[in-house]
Amino acid sequence: MNELIKIKDVTKVYPLGETEVHALRGVDVAIKKGEFISIIGPSGSGKSTLMHIIGCLDTATSGSYFLRGKDVNKMDENQLADIRKEFIGFVFQDFYLLPDVPAWYNVSLPMIYNRVTPRERKEKAVKILENVGLGDRVNHLPNQLSGGERQRVAIARALANEPEIIIADEPTGNLDSVRGEEILKILSDLYEKGKTIIIVSHEKYVAEQGKRKIYLKDGRVEGKG
Amino acid sequence: MFSSFLIEILRSSIESIKANKLRSLLTTLGIVIGVTTVIGVISIVSGLKKNVATSFSQLGANVLYVSKYPWVMGPLSREEWKKIHKRDIVGLKEAEALKEYGTSFEYVSPEIGRHMNMERAEKEAAEVDIKGVSEDYGRIINQDVSLGRFLSKDDIQYKRHICVLGQDVVNSLFPEENPIGNKVKIQGRQFNVIGMLEERGKMMGQSMDNVAMIPYTTMTAFTGRRKTINIAVYAEEGEEAEEEIRWILRGVRNLKPGEEDDFAINSSEALISQFNQLTKTIFLISIAIAAISLVVGGIGIMNIMLVSVSERTREIGVRKAIGAKSSEILGQFLMESVVICLVGGFLGIILGASLTKLISIMSNGNIPFHIPIWSIFLGFGFCFSIGVFFGFYPARKASKLNPVEALRYE
Repeated sequence: MNELIKIKDVTKVYPLGETEVHALRGVDVAIKKGEFISIIGPSGSGKSTLMHIIGCLDTATSGSYFLRGKDVNKMDENQLADIRKEFIGFVFQDFYLLPDVPAWYNVSLPMIYNRVTPRERKEKAVKILENVGLGDRVNHLPNQLSGGERQRVAIARALANEPEIIIADEPTGNLDSVRGEEILKILSDLYEKGKTIIIVSHEKYVAEQGKRKIYLKDGRVEGKG
Repeated sequence: MFSSFLIEILRSSIESIKANKLRSLLTTLGIVIGVTTVIGVISIVSGLKKNVATSFSQLGANVLYVSKYPWVMGPLSREEWKKIHKRDIVGLKEAEALKEYGTSFEYVSPEIGRHMNMERAEKEAAEVDIKGVSEDYGRIINQDVSLGRFLSKDDIQYKRHICVLGQDVVNSLFPEENPIGNKVKIQGRQFNVIGMLEERGKMMGQSMDNVAMIPYTTMTAFTGRRKTINIAVYAEEGEEAEEEIRWILRGVRNLKPGEEDDFAINSSEALISQFNQLTKTIFLISIAIAAISLVVGGIGIMNIMLVSVSERTREIGVRKAIGAKSSEILGQFLMESVVICLVGGFLGIILGASLTKLISIMSNGNIPFHIPIWSIFLGFGFCFSIGVFFGFYPARKASKLNPVEALRYE
C-alpha cells in the first residue's frame, strides 16, 4: 500500500479513421509517494498518453490502474474530476494560462472548483506566487510576463489545491535553458518538500532530473533506471 | 460553498462579456428589440387603457345615450351606411316622450350641442361647446356646480336666458371676477351667468371644461327644433331601461312590428369594449413581433455561444484538467448566455421605457407614462428563458468536451 500509483498491463487504443493507433501496448508502472520520476521517450512513444492516464485525464483501454489503492478504471467522469482536483496538479508545455485574467486569478482557478471562498482564494494564490518568486507579478496579465514567469504561474496554479502529485508535460519545452533550469529547480524543490513529481520529456537534461527514469518506446517500457 | 461558485461563474461571465463588448452587444440586439417592443407596447397600451377608462367613465357609468347614429359600428356596406344616414332625426319629441312615459330610469335630458363663441365686453371664449340640456343633466353626468347653481325646472319651462359656465370659459371671460350675476353674449343674445361647473380635466386631449350649459328650450332658438340630438338617460338598471327606451321610441317613431330600430342606444361600456377589442388586436400583433425578434435573438445567442465554446476549447480543457466537472462547465456557459440575455433585457427595458416616455411627451400627456411592474418581470422572464433555452446546446457541447482533446485543440 505504499505505492501511490500502480499501473499494470495498461493499453490504450485510439481509433484513427478506419485504423487503430496503439499508443500503449501493455505498460507497468509503479510510483511511490514522494518519488521524482522522469518519463522519457521520443515523440510517438506514448508518453503523453501515459501521462494523461496517470493524471486521470484519460482512461485506459485495458489493464488496471490503482491510485492510492483505488481502482481508477471503475470511476465515473465526476469522480475522475474530483481526483484531478484534489490529488493532481498539471504543468503544461504551453502553460495554458487564461489570457484575460491576472496571474493571481490563474493560480486561484483550481480553488474555485474546490469551493474555496474568494477572499481565501486570493490570499492563498498570492502566497503561492510569492513562493515561486513572483510576489511582484501578482496582478500582471500572462502577456505581460516572460515565458519563465508564465511557467512559474502555471506551477503555482498546479499547487493551488495542494495536490500530492505534480505532473509536468515538457515543462521546459518552450523555454531557453536558463529559464528551463529555474523551472526544474522549482520542481526539484517541491520534491524536496515531499511532493511526488512526474516529469514527461524527450530532452535528456530534463530527464536527468528524475531520481528514477522510465523509458518508453512504441508504447512499451523499454527500460528503467 | 456552492453560492460562492455561482458568484464566481457570474463574475467570470460578466468578465467574458466585457472582454467582447461589441460582439456581446450585437448578439444581444435581437433580445433588446424584442424586449423594447414588449415593454413599449405593454406600457403604451396600459397607459392608453387607463386614460380611456377614466375618460369614458366621465361619460358616466349607468348613462345611456339615445341618438340617430350608433357610436360603435362594425364594418358597414355602403347600403347599410346610407340606411342609417336616412333615418329620421332623434329629436326633442323623443326626449319628451321618454321623460313622460319612462318608469325604469331616473333622469332624462336632451343634449343639443353646438360650438359657438361667447363674448363679454372685450373678451371672447372661442368655440365653446354649448349644450342645451335639462335640469337633470348635471345629475346624469355626475357633474355638480362649484359656484352658484345648476339649471332648474323653471329655467327650462320659462326658457330663461341663463347659463352655467365651465372652468375654461370662466377663465377666458372672467379672469379675475366672480362670474355669477354677470352677463355674457352668445351670438348677440344675452345670458345671465348663474353657476360655474366643477372642473373636469381632459379627455383624449380635449379639455372638458370649455363648455357652457343652457336650457334646451333656449338652445332651440339657435338650432331650431328639428335637429338631431343625443338624449342622455340615467338608469341604475341598464338592461331594463334599454328595453323600455326601445319600446317608447318605437312607439313615438311609429315603427311597425318586424321593422328594425331606426335609432341607437349607446353606452360607455360599448365604447370601452370596442376599445378593448382594438387594444387586444394591437397587443397580439406586437407580442407576435416581439416573439419573432426574441427567437431570432435567441438563435443569435446560440450562434455566438457556439463560437465562444469553440474559441475557448483550450480553456475548457484546462478547467477540466484542474478538476472542473462537466456540470460546472455547463453551468459556466449557461450562466454566460443567461447573463448576455439579461443584459439585453435590461437594455430593452431601458429603451422601451425611454420610448414610452418620449411618446408620452409627444402626445402631451394623453398617453400617460405608465410602466406596469409585471411587464418588467415579464421582460426579464423572457430573457432568462431564452438564455437557458438557446444557451443549453452550446453549454452542453462545452461540458461534453474530452479534456485531452480540448487541451490539444489549436
